[in-house]
Amino acid sequence: MLEVVGLSKSFPLAKPRRRGPPPGPPDPREDGRLFHAIRDIEFTVPSGAIVGLLGPNGAGKTTLLRVLSTALRPSTGTASFDGIDIVRDPLAVRRTLGFLSGNTGLYGRLTPRELLAYFGGLHGLRGEALTRRIEELSGLMRMGDYLDRRNDTLSAGMKQKVSIARTLMHDPSIVVFDEPTTGLDVAAAETILRLVQRCRDQGKTVLLSTHHMHEVARVCDRVVVIHQGRMCFSGTVDQMREHGGDRALDRALLSIIGLDAEGEATRA
Amino acid sequence: MRSSIATVFRKELLEVARDRRTLFFMIAMPLLLIPLLIQITTDFMKEAEEEAASAMLDYAIFGDEHLPEVAHAFASTPKFASVPLADPSEIPAAIADGRLDLALVIVPVASSGDAVGGSVQYPVQYLVELHYNNAPLSSKVKPRTKKVLDALGAELRRDRLEKQGITEVAVQQAVIEPVVMVEKGTAPMREVLGERLGGMLPYMFIIFCFLGAMYPAIDLAAGEKERGTLETLLLVPIPRHHVVLGKFLVVFTAGVVAAVLTLVGLGGWLALQGSELGGDLGAVLSAIGLTDLVLIAAMLIPTAAIFASLLLGISIYAKSFKEAQSYIAPLNMLVILPAFLAMLPGVELDWKTASIPITNVSLAIKELIKGTMDYSMLVVILGSSAVLAGALLWASTWWFGREEVLFRQ
Repeated sequence: MLEVVGLSKSFPLAKPRRRGPPPGPPDPREDGRLFHAIRDIEFTVPSGAIVGLLGPNGAGKTTLLRVLSTALRPSTGTASFDGIDIVRDPLAVRRTLGFLSGNTGLYGRLTPRELLAYFGGLHGLRGEALTRRIEELSGLMRMGDYLDRRNDTLSAGMKQKVSIARTLMHDPSIVVFDEPTTGLDVAAAETILRLVQRCRDQGKTVLLSTHHMHEVARVCDRVVVIHQGRMCFSGTVDQMREHGGDRALDRALLSIIGLDAEGEATRA
Repeated sequence: MRSSIATVFRKELLEVARDRRTLFFMIAMPLLLIPLLIQITTDFMKEAEEEAASAMLDYAIFGDEHLPEVAHAFASTPKFASVPLADPSEIPAAIADGRLDLALVIVPVASSGDAVGGSVQYPVQYLVELHYNNAPLSSKVKPRTKKVLDALGAELRRDRLEKQGITEVAVQQAVIEPVVMVEKGTAPMREVLGERLGGMLPYMFIIFCFLGAMYPAIDLAAGEKERGTLETLLLVPIPRHHVVLGKFLVVFTAGVVAAVLTLVGLGGWLALQGSELGGDLGAVLSAIGLTDLVLIAAMLIPTAAIFASLLLGISIYAKSFKEAQSYIAPLNMLVILPAFLAMLPGVELDWKTASIPITNVSLAIKELIKGTMDYSMLVVILGSSAVLAGALLWASTWWFGREEVLFRQ
């Protein structure tokens, strides 16, 4: 289970932006010295559920996922995975967490087998257990034909499969997907979505950040909507439709964050 | 702890070993380029010297009516050819456009008739002005001309002394040079030559050590950021300083390998070609033994540690490969200048210079080449280098823990 409590993350503004007002309308997340990327985020995800993290570009989704995955430290608040606090014990959180991003790179000069062995090793897998896990994931992701080819010779779809295998190498109980289908063709995106569902079926907690509402409708149990660093909505997909006043999820989302179809603000 | 550092180290080393650019700077360049450079330089120098020594020299003489023996002496010396020139005012232009290699202008200084009451019919002394292009270092015009004139001067001197009644050679010598200084240097030849040429070799070792460490350092941090692989590495359950230490050890290894291979390249070349090499450089290089090479390699270890931690710190800060390269390019000067200091005359290894990073190693290698190393200085050199490398490594680890560095926009 994932519990997020009053989570905020601020960054110091670059010096030129501190000196004078930026061009264009002021960003409500800036206060002169700090940029508040996310503020007071609170939600809970039960085990075996997929939560969609929604919001426009720059809403703070990636920052939230980076804080939850312990790449960044929260400014205030905290979160816990199955009772393990991300601030107090980040290493323990990393042992239970898998993270896959759409723009995650691979080590081009390694083969998938070497890459998986590397990350498996860093997660404490050794010897026979490591070999067995690589073979298991290779079979699951059907990577046998290119397991010993260098990553920089693989197609985008093959690379994404290797990335997925890397994410699952240590069998995490929580998996975070940050726009995992961005730039992928239909077949590769389908592979990802099946994997997301498979993770849920195995009782894992899944956080999925996406811009594709058909993915949300298909796999998400709950959604959290973020806009300008603040949480606007948390609930089931049906509750989101109800809250947004539209059956179509994209229009419901725009309604919740107060934008029209052209991206203009519909309310002050 | 050790196992996670070792895991990072092994993986990074594997990647580095598969990077052609790194292999070139780490292995091919020191191992092949150093011997090639030395071979080309020595061949070129040898050829230039031989050419200058055997080249036909075109000359013109003015004022030879005062001392016709000069013209006779040059006419009878092989590889000198007389070229007609109308007037001495044309000498500079004729030398500049290559018609002449040298011109001699003979000027009588005093008449013997004035000096000894007309009993002798020739002037006592002549000035022979040598006009030539003195810019090329390899020019042999002056020594070759001097050799002819010295022989002629000796002959004239002997004739004049005999006419004065001094016929015995020993007496002639005593009259000409009543006091003669004979130089007896106490320093062994290796020390003398090492002092003159010993600064060059550490300079080469240090530069190659830096170049060998440079590309792995950029690739392992800035390269990871650029390729989007760093974020996945930040999410593995090991402390971040283990990641930095693993990467540092690879960059350090690359620097040491490059420096050692520079030595191996030099040693290999010496084994194959050293005996054929003449001159000062040959004497210095031939004097360097295996123990010296091992000690020189040991001196490069702290240098490699300094370079590895410094380069890795910069690379961690940079957002991309290109940005890291732009930061490191001016850093070359920081490496070259201290290494260059050891080549300056008068700069010696003492307690003060032993604490200046890079310069100390450069001077120590020079001392090893000269065979005059004070081994108590090693403690200061290793100590100051280790402190600097440790501080820089700590800074790299600190950078690597800072979010604004890792996620710089």
